Amino acid sequence: MYDCENCVRRLDQLVDKELSGPEVEEVHLHLGACGDCTRRYRFQEGLKRLIRVSGSERAPDALRERLREQLKA
Amino acid sequence: MADQQTEPAEFSEEAIGHLDALYRGALRLTRDPDRAQDLVQDTYARALRYQHSYQAGTNMKAWLFAIMRNLYWDRFQKANREAVSIDDIGEFALYDQMRDDLGEGPETEVLDRIARSEVVDAVEKLNPLHREVVLLVDVEGFAYKDAAKILEVPIGTVMSRLHRARQQLQKDLFDYAVESGIVGGGLNSRS
Repeated sequence: MYDCENCVRRLDQLVDKELSGPEVEEVHLHLGACGDCTRRYRFQEGLKRLIRVSGSERAPDALRERLREQLKA
Repeated sequence: MADQQTEPAEFSEEAIGHLDALYRGALRLTRDPDRAQDLVQDTYARALRYQHSYQAGTNMKAWLFAIMRNLYWDRFQKANREAVSIDDIGEFALYDQMRDDLGEGPETEVLDRIARSEVVDAVEKLNPLHREVVLLVDVEGFAYKDAAKILEVPIGTVMSRLHRARQQLQKDLFDYAVESGIVGGGLNSRS
């Protein structure tokens, strides 16, 4: 039977969508029965999302123009 | 042959399409807007020079990141490459530290109170080996296998570095959250 330790060990891969179908099913089976792991999972997902949206700078227009010239040459 | 090569105009168009992502990546790697622009420009120059080695239909974003990453290490970290070591801070889960502060509310509520600039700072404070893997997997959404190719390490190394990087990030964010009063430190405060 799947326990919390097993589940926590796979949370990185779960939030990164790196588990196979059957593995995802297994983890979710545990998550469905374990509130603590579920909250931990949502928290980790939230953190990953936060990291993704935090740095959303766009390249300066001048750089874009320079590169367009460079790539045309 | 013809279907393996990309027309130059198409190549340029597709390459430019990844500019924002590359620039963001360069900012995180160099932590300096001028250096970031230089790095990006040199990345495109090299990409242009080696465009014959790019196969149409493969992952151009990954290809460009691999070029940029190599340039970055050659230029800024060459002297340090051997010296960069990864400290093991042990297991640290922000969730455990904050569990008492989270109470019954949604577990992500506390994350909403963390300033985005603080997250960027925490990423930039990571050592370069950790920073680049967070950049590739969390920010750019590369699969482990693509990150492994870009970094030229086994997938297991990607996973272990990523795990440690996240632990370090969580530790830094927790320190910030305590300092700024977002959380009280919890009952199980850090030793």
